[in-house]
Amino acid sequence: MGLDRRGFVKFVVGGVAGTLFTPVIWQGLDDASIWSQNWGWIPRVPKGEVKTKSALSKLCPSGCAVKVKVIEGKPFAAVGNAANPMSKGGVCPICAGGAQLLYSPARVKSPMKKVGEGKFEAIKWEDAEALLVEKLTPLKGQEGKIAAISGDETGSANEVLSALLSGLGNAGGFAVMPGEMYTATRGVKLMGGNGQPGFDIEGADLVLMIGADALDSWGTSVANLKAFAASHPTGGAATAQYIYAGPTLNNTASVCDKWLAVPPTATATFSLALAHALIEAGAVSSAADFAEYKALAAKAAAGFEAATGLKAEALKELAAKIKAAKAPLVVAGASFGQGAGALDFVAAASLNVLLGRVGQKGGMTVLGAAPKAIASAADRENAKDAASLLAQVATGKAAPAALLIYEANPAYALPQAAEMAKAMGNIAFKVSFSTYMDETAALADLILPAPHPYERYDDAMNPYGVAKATYLAGKPVLKQPVLDVKDPVDVLLAAAGKLGLSLGFETYADVIKAKAKALGADFDALAAGGIWNGEPKGGALSLGAGALAKAAPAAADEKAVALAPVTRLAYGSATLATPPANLLNVRDTELKGKDLFVQLNAATAKKLGVAEGNKVKLSAGGAEVKALVHVNEGVAANTAAILLGFGRSAWDEFTKGKGDNVYKILTVSDEAGTGLKVWAGSTVTVAKV
Amino acid sequence: MKAKEFNIKWGMVIDLDKCTGCGACMTACQVENNIAPMVDASNKLRTLSWMLVYELSNKKAAPDAEIAYLPRPCMQCGNPACVPVCPVVATDKNEEGGIVSQIYPRCIGCRYCMAACPYHARYFNWEDPVFPKGMEKALSPNTSARPRGVVEKCNFCHTRLMKAKDKARQEGGNPEALADGAYMPACVEVCPTGAITFGDLKNPEHKVHELAKNENAFRLLEKLGLAPQVYYMSKREWVRKLGDNYAATGKAGAAKKHS
Repeated sequence: MGLDRRGFVKFVVGGVAGTLFTPVIWQGLDDASIWSQNWGWIPRVPKGEVKTKSALSKLCPSGCAVKVKVIEGKPFAAVGNAANPMSKGGVCPICAGGAQLLYSPARVKSPMKKVGEGKFEAIKWEDAEALLVEKLTPLKGQEGKIAAISGDETGSANEVLSALLSGLGNAGGFAVMPGEMYTATRGVKLMGGNGQPGFDIEGADLVLMIGADALDSWGTSVANLKAFAASHPTGGAATAQYIYAGPTLNNTASVCDKWLAVPPTATATFSLALAHALIEAGAVSSAADFAEYKALAAKAAAGFEAATGLKAEALKELAAKIKAAKAPLVVAGASFGQGAGALDFVAAASLNVLLGRVGQKGGMTVLGAAPKAIASAADRENAKDAASLLAQVATGKAAPAALLIYEANPAYALPQAAEMAKAMGNIAFKVSFSTYMDETAALADLILPAPHPYERYDDAMNPYGVAKATYLAGKPVLKQPVLDVKDPVDVLLAAAGKLGLSLGFETYADVIKAKAKALGADFDALAAGGIWNGEPKGGALSLGAGALAKAAPAAADEKAVALAPVTRLAYGSATLATPPANLLNVRDTELKGKDLFVQLNAATAKKLGVAEGNKVKLSAGGAEVKALVHVNEGVAANTAAILLGFGRSAWDEFTKGKGDNVYKILTVSDEAGTGLKVWAGSTVTVAKV
Repeated sequence: MKAKEFNIKWGMVIDLDKCTGCGACMTACQVENNIAPMVDASNKLRTLSWMLVYELSNKKAAPDAEIAYLPRPCMQCGNPACVPVCPVVATDKNEEGGIVSQIYPRCIGCRYCMAACPYHARYFNWEDPVFPKGMEKALSPNTSARPRGVVEKCNFCHTRLMKAKDKARQEGGNPEALADGAYMPACVEVCPTGAITFGDLKNPEHKVHELAKNENAFRLLEKLGLAPQVYYMSKREWVRKLGDNYAATGKAGAAKKHS
């Protein structure tokens, strides 16, 4: 039988129609589309039941009480713990990505020993611990030979470090990284008080933040944000006013009722001029130093417009608002959380005294000293500051042979960072207890990897800013750490034992449990996300006029502009470089490729003769930082604002070599009357390159 | 064109006066949706940000300068511009709740939808997802990782909707009448100021129902008629004006078309 033309056409048409009716072709197309995207190198997601575990996530400076979501035993996300009265279910942008940081490429994977310039070899824990004891043994009992720097503001680990140093005959060797807590506690002393100041933001109906970036990077920012949110119900009328006085229109200022552009060099002048306006409006204080304070305030008011670039009218309006408020509160702090010195603090905090707001609901409080777990530990406020310690090392006034560095990055995050890193070179044996390969670990002789917050016991006593004594504690989320790490405190306690010193504990967990017991708190309840609170305290404070009178007026330099380093919590902290997941948050007007932007307002840019996109260098103290200009009206007059936390030389591919380290151009000076090192009022010269 | 209507309409009301721009929503979104970190995240033409916080400025000189932050998820438009242009029906608005879907295996990467979306809510995968070594162990179970060559976008954490419905079924409830808060996307869950309120815009028991009708509520580029299911609110007039890009009326906020 032959196939004629008609038969052939019928066969083809029938074939095509038949094919369309079979599922084969459609199924094939569907499979092809699925399988063409189903490559082996595309990661597969886990399957199974999601559980949640409570944790204390101290990735951010104040610590967040979080619920960690876990699948197949592995953490993958973190949300706020609604049961915790401090964070009330909120979480900061760092702790929200905490699970991913467990696997950060910058993590130190095992103990490492320096074998050459920038070269390390992995060693076993027993060898590392033996080396630590071997190096400390000959220094035992020699005053000034062992020092320690802690970058943890709140942990009981500080008690262990301090007691260890005391036991080894080096009680004066304990130093802390700069932060608000350190200077503010000294400020309270200058006002005749004793203890760490607290601010009841939640109870206030007008919150004036002078410098303090309280809704982003200052203090217990999540608790502050919750207080702000509660007073600003969505769709309803606000029950509190928030006002920010600081150098930049930052995250905090963006939601405030008013932003007052105050250069960082004029913080104290602003505060005292406001005191003058309040006194003019009828404020009086029964404090013994009121007359002296009044005179100082009047003097500051005379120089207000020149120092701040603001009109005096703005102060009058602000004073009227404060007078009209029932529970006003002034929150004092440095715009980037450090370096402000005690006098800036006193000037701002004295407004609370003037307004009679100390010890009141929605006012300023003073927290008493917390009971210690280890009796021989020194009070934190008696510690040295790390900048002073390393400055002494640089000049030979101090000559420790061993330096223990706990959760701190002094080679990067101290003012005049390059000089600090150089000073560290004078110390023969440096041990870095660090979770990440930071700039300090890269300079250390021995790196002992510390656990991530989900792998350790830890606690937080009085995170800076809380209005009443507060204690949080946490236990590990993971049964086994993901890397070969050990808790630094466990290592130090074991080393103490080998050095013939008993601190009464074998593990950090025991120390924390003892601390909880000393406070009368239940550790298990704390580890489940609970909180311990003491009663808020007031105490009679003076206006600090005696100290303020000694403050030297800043020398005016026509060529220089004030430097306002900008911190944004999402971009990391002094101990944490920008997490990989948070790089996306960095705007392309802040960082582009490897270039940072310096933000100047149009008038300042014009005065300096620079324009949008120009490459400039910012110089101070013999160091310089290169940046591109971005004209931004959210910057105070005669001020250059630039992000802090970039220009990393260690860490990982996500952060290394991006931007420049602004700590390099922060210049340290001695504060008149207090002897503190200050750098919040640094100035820089800006020149085109 | 008439917007597609459903009995349930999942939507957001974002209070811009409460958004500090902290970025927690962006981080939580990346974690939930397995977006791999990029080494150069400053190249915004290549990044993937299902949730993106924009900075708005009133363009005034200091001391009158003001800024506001605007978080931008997918608007889940009632009348989406991206759907009709897709040649392979990889994106559709066909499910109760009104979430605009994105079916990755079906997407051929032509990017017509990206060109059509006026909100820049869609992103193209220029590269395969590469997580730093080990970080793939912290992947979320809720969203599959996408290969290069496909477009992706926010889907209001759709897996969470499925799970909330499952939970309602298991507990004998009605999966088509979830309680307020039973389902919320990761960005809503994590926002420390509660700036984002989420729920069924049609359900009077859900907060968003009333909030969307607030006198300060507006939608982005209302004049385009895409009927987004995401509302914003601000007491600041300049913010409302910007949101609408001086729409048809030329007045603060445009004539609101609530459904």
